[in-house]
Amino acid sequence: MSLLHATWLPGRSTSSGPEKPALLIWADTWRISKSVKTRDTPSWNPFTLKTNELKEWLLEKKLSPKSIRETSASLTLPSKELNTQGRNNSKITENFAWEGLPLIAGEIIPDDCQWWPWRVDGLAIPTNEIGDWLAKLPLSGKHPDLGDELKWWCHLERWRLSLIARGRWLPQVEIWNNENLSTKARWVPLFNKEEDRQKLEIFAAQLPQVTTCAEPWHKIEKCNEDTKYSSNLLKHTKYNPIASKRPLNNRFKVAGFVEELIDAQLRESFTPNSQGLDPMLKEWQKALGNSTDNISLPEQDLKRLRIASQHWKNSISAQFTTARTCLELLTPDINENLWELNFFLQAQADPSLKIHASRVWESDIKNLTLGEITIENPGEILLEGLGRSISIFPPIERGLDSANPTSMMLTAEEAFIFIRTAASNLRDYGVGVELPNTLSGGLASRLGIEIIAELENSSKGATLGEILNWEWGLMIGGVKLSISELERLANKKSPLLKHKNTWIELRKNDLKNAKKFIEKPTSLSLDDAIRLTAAEGETLEHLPVHQFRPGPRLQNVLEKYHQKTTPDAIPAPEGFIGQLRPYQEKGVGWLAFLYRFDQGSCLADDMGLGKTIQLLAFLQYLKKENELKRPILLIAPTSILTNWRREAKAFTPELNIFEHYGSNRPSDIKNLEKAIQISNLVITSYGIIQRDLSMLSSFKWQGIIIDEAQAIKNPSSKQSLAIRQIAKKIKTNGFKIALTGTPIENKVNEIWALMDFLNPKVLGEQNFFNQRYRLPIERYGDISSLRDLKARVQPFILRRLKTDKTIISDLPDKVELNEWVNLSQEQENLYREVVDKTIKEIASAPLGSKHGKILGLLTKLKQICNHPALALKENNINEKFILRSGKLQRLDQILEELIVGDDKAILFTQFSEWGLLLQKYLQKRFSCEVPFLYGATTKNSRQEMVDQFQQDPRGPKLFLLSLKAGGLGLNLTKANHVFHLDRWWNPAVENQATDRAYRIGQENRVMVHKFITIGSVEEKIHSMILSKSKLANEIIGSGEDWLGKLDIKDIKRLVSLDKS
Amino acid sequence: MTNSKNEILTSINHEGLGKQPWWVEQWMELINSYKYKKRLERAWTYAREGKVLSILFEGRRVHARVQGTDNEPYKVKLWLDVLIEEDWKFVLEALAEKASWTAQLLAGIMPSDIERAFAASGKRLFPFKLEEIKSECSCPDKANPCKHISAIYFLMGERFKEDPFVLFQLRGCGRETLLKDLAEKRKEILLELKSKQQIQSKQNIKSPPRKMTKNNPSSFWTYESNLHQDLVVIAPSIDEDTGIESAGNIPLAEEPLYPNAQKQFISELKNHCQQSAHRAMIKAMSKDN
Repeated sequence: MSLLHATWLPGRSTSSGPEKPALLIWADTWRISKSVKTRDTPSWNPFTLKTNELKEWLLEKKLSPKSIRETSASLTLPSKELNTQGRNNSKITENFAWEGLPLIAGEIIPDDCQWWPWRVDGLAIPTNEIGDWLAKLPLSGKHPDLGDELKWWCHLERWRLSLIARGRWLPQVEIWNNENLSTKARWVPLFNKEEDRQKLEIFAAQLPQVTTCAEPWHKIEKCNEDTKYSSNLLKHTKYNPIASKRPLNNRFKVAGFVEELIDAQLRESFTPNSQGLDPMLKEWQKALGNSTDNISLPEQDLKRLRIASQHWKNSISAQFTTARTCLELLTPDINENLWELNFFLQAQADPSLKIHASRVWESDIKNLTLGEITIENPGEILLEGLGRSISIFPPIERGLDSANPTSMMLTAEEAFIFIRTAASNLRDYGVGVELPNTLSGGLASRLGIEIIAELENSSKGATLGEILNWEWGLMIGGVKLSISELERLANKKSPLLKHKNTWIELRKNDLKNAKKFIEKPTSLSLDDAIRLTAAEGETLEHLPVHQFRPGPRLQNVLEKYHQKTTPDAIPAPEGFIGQLRPYQEKGVGWLAFLYRFDQGSCLADDMGLGKTIQLLAFLQYLKKENELKRPILLIAPTSILTNWRREAKAFTPELNIFEHYGSNRPSDIKNLEKAIQISNLVITSYGIIQRDLSMLSSFKWQGIIIDEAQAIKNPSSKQSLAIRQIAKKIKTNGFKIALTGTPIENKVNEIWALMDFLNPKVLGEQNFFNQRYRLPIERYGDISSLRDLKARVQPFILRRLKTDKTIISDLPDKVELNEWVNLSQEQENLYREVVDKTIKEIASAPLGSKHGKILGLLTKLKQICNHPALALKENNINEKFILRSGKLQRLDQILEELIVGDDKAILFTQFSEWGLLLQKYLQKRFSCEVPFLYGATTKNSRQEMVDQFQQDPRGPKLFLLSLKAGGLGLNLTKANHVFHLDRWWNPAVENQATDRAYRIGQENRVMVHKFITIGSVEEKIHSMILSKSKLANEIIGSGEDWLGKLDIKDIKRLVSLDKS
Repeated sequence: MTNSKNEILTSINHEGLGKQPWWVEQWMELINSYKYKKRLERAWTYAREGKVLSILFEGRRVHARVQGTDNEPYKVKLWLDVLIEEDWKFVLEALAEKASWTAQLLAGIMPSDIERAFAASGKRLFPFKLEEIKSECSCPDKANPCKHISAIYFLMGERFKEDPFVLFQLRGCGRETLLKDLAEKRKEILLELKSKQQIQSKQNIKSPPRKMTKNNPSSFWTYESNLHQDLVVIAPSIDEDTGIESAGNIPLAEEPLYPNAQKQFISELKNHCQQSAHRAMIKAMSKDN
């Protein structure tokens, strides 16, 4: 799979004129490649798409830029050295060549990796088109075709738009130090606002280095082959050095990108009226709108323009330097009235790196080292900042009366002005300001409340709306405040006040809110408590809640809600046949906890962790506690209905199960009531729900459970509406549980329907939800909304991963899962037809051909179990394809789950025709490449498939193999799932195949999925193997001789379809 | 900020002077003290008509070209008395004693009490009398200042506005030298003070250890952040503090022939600012599909 990258390509001047900077887009892709020798010029990166391939690929992905300029560049990439032998013992000679390969994105970069330049071909997008091109790409989420850094570029583009929308730019006249000094008219961004300053630092800190690793490629003129090698070397080193590109300071790089992008954008659309301009301004204006930015004016005029434009800019924005002046205000000591203002130099990149003015004066005049950065002329930077501060906050001038000023004192009035107005102006002006914590303007410095709350005496904390016992107090700057104290302070009419040795600031608005609140305090519900404790900075009635102190019982409940402490584990209840692993006991405990609280719950454990078992244990627990009063409705996809029944029968035989399915199911409420009178669990499918909606929703269920809950993710689908309609009728003492294996909490568009099913109050109406959460998060990846959303839903979702440390210790290395599946109607008909016809033939066949006939029948039946198309030798895949096979439906569900979870799987089948059909189907279904290794695969491509699966970080996630061709000798340890799509008589063969992925000591835990079609020959083979019967013993380890020994009765029993 | 607060208006227009930084005003006052008002008026007209072709600060001199009645423009040279090294020593010492002077100069502002720094040397930064401005003109007029020279006078004040260091340069000490000497002087004063206070000046000032943070190789390809909250909705700033609005006028002396040039130049930029902001917002919203 190819991955698109975007790297900045700096401009340069060439003999044919200047080449402007551009965004180089290129793609890397995994290929088989021998190591590459690099001698005198960077070699072509073998893991990249050639220009033609790239163009085609972009076209296919609809990512082609508007104008296309083919180009090459030298990219410094992490690389691995191979074949170092030659190097160690011989001296480095003229002929020395480095040998190795570049790493591709996704491969782990070791700490000691080498950095080498590689030639990469790609397309250059001119600066004025970058924005439009980036606008096509998503702002959030992972995209399979796009490298991470494209998101970085998109975010940068967003910042550029914001700068332009706010008009944060000025035209400038600048000297450019290229080959011949030229003076250019440029549009430059202003980074002086504190918010932009911060953004620059954030973008710089998070810059993926791949964005900056390119140098333009110099075409090497044809060199005479006779020329001596050494002169070649010289020539090449001059052009495309094999030295790696040194990283520059990130901030300058980022600022440079934004400057280029802003300039390109503003230049393009600038068509001014030049009437009435003097020649100098006219030339400047012209050069601002031209594609060539050179200003043609006499030298002295250029100099004047340059200085004037610089001063013009400096009057509102600081020079872009590594450090800035910083003013730190300290509160007065006890019994003092004056506030001390200290002068510092502060690193732009890291505000915590500060050096006091006294040390600046003591340091070297020319250079000062602060952390990693070197500040030139530190004294001048400090003074310049102080000089500019004077015009915003004149009292500073008083503090600069000495030669080497370090601090000054402010009166209380001055301090107040400094805090309220000057501080933010100074910050925008490029001067750092640090205020005492309690006055820094954050939430802590505001008047707020502290809350002490506890559950009502009789309450268990079980209902969300319930009212808590609570007390509250006023609080500001970390200090408590009584109402009378507040009144006294408010009467002082002074904005800065000292209260209990802390300086605080009382704001009018806060006072107003507090007054309202004091006069009429609200009540506090358990919902409020959960919200207030979920995140920092929450408010109640517009007042910040500085402290929330729950009593022990409430604390206990809150911690469980926030999953800080796990609810008490519930061991396997009496009547449960089987064992629960420790994490499963916790899962049952969690289900019971939310049940007691009358809350819906979503168990979203990773596939294979036993969601079914936990749910059954929970139901058995309710039964044992005598809390199962009325039937519970369980809805699952048709393909796993029987699975449910079988598991329930095996683990919880005491539960009465009723399957509401098939044509004989009750058709009116009376019959239904009669039929399920003594049932505990009524199992039905999503399809039936829609058909029998009015009947099923008029019954009073004790609870509703949905399996594969992603089935209701689309809120407006009939299925989803039907399920939620039934769920809404379940009131107190009922429960709602959703099971799913997909990480539901990350899918904003899917979570609303789920929560509406579980606990409608939590996310509110759909419109509200879309406005409040979905839009901001999906469109812009708004992190604070996402955090808030997660905090809200997190109490109701339990998701544990196979990889969780606590889970790993509970799980064996290899987990075998039997996937029970039903036949579709078509499969069933076909199956019966074939059996009926063939049994007759066998009965009347001569002994010699009987053996072959039986074998043929078994094969045919196994094919039908896979898919009717396989048995009927069709190879057309249409939309109905999936509906025709129960096994395929189940496989589809599991694969979807594991692809989302970034797992890898190998899938074995014994029928290469099925492999080919399935390959076609899966490639279309998951729009990805699915290799299929079988008998007809050549030796070379076999190795390539295996290497790609094992080595390519973005390689296929699914790998189909025929049991015969792929069952032995291959090493496929990257897989953490093994699927046996059809059964083999001999478990040893299956185990050998499984061992392709499962090796002792490997880190991955392997899930082995075995598909068994219920009632069919597959199930019979399965139970024979399990029962270790005599017949089984014969089967196992022998060929197919035993088939011949079967009499017709045995055969009939083996092949006929049991309808259970 | 001072600039924009003080609202510099165009200096030469028919109404005469607008509000200017004090040092420009002082310069104009000086010129207005000239007793031959008639000649001054003619020079005023000259300046307004754009007869001054160029003004160039070269070292300690001002070189200018003025189009007179002759075909060839006249060459005008202007200079002030240069402070001798001895004088500069005093000035530097005084300047360094008070950091606010240097601070303001660096910020592009001429300190209002700058002459106090020169008082110690008995000299001045600004010429006190017109006679202190030395000049030569290649015109046949014997009188000095002739109208060409006077025309330059009018325009010089504006030029000071472009860079407060210009006057220092004319007095014999350019920006670079001045700043370097000041830094050394400050250090001297500091050391003197320290030894006076008998503080061990031996105490080595060690800069904090140099942290060598390697570029984390794993960040080469990866970027996992979400869009910054501020960039979710793109909107113009409510304060209307665009760069163009807050930067005010360009500190560029006006060409008398084109009295509205700057206004026009800036109004085109403001237009552009509005339109491009509008386009940017539309673009940001079209992301919504």
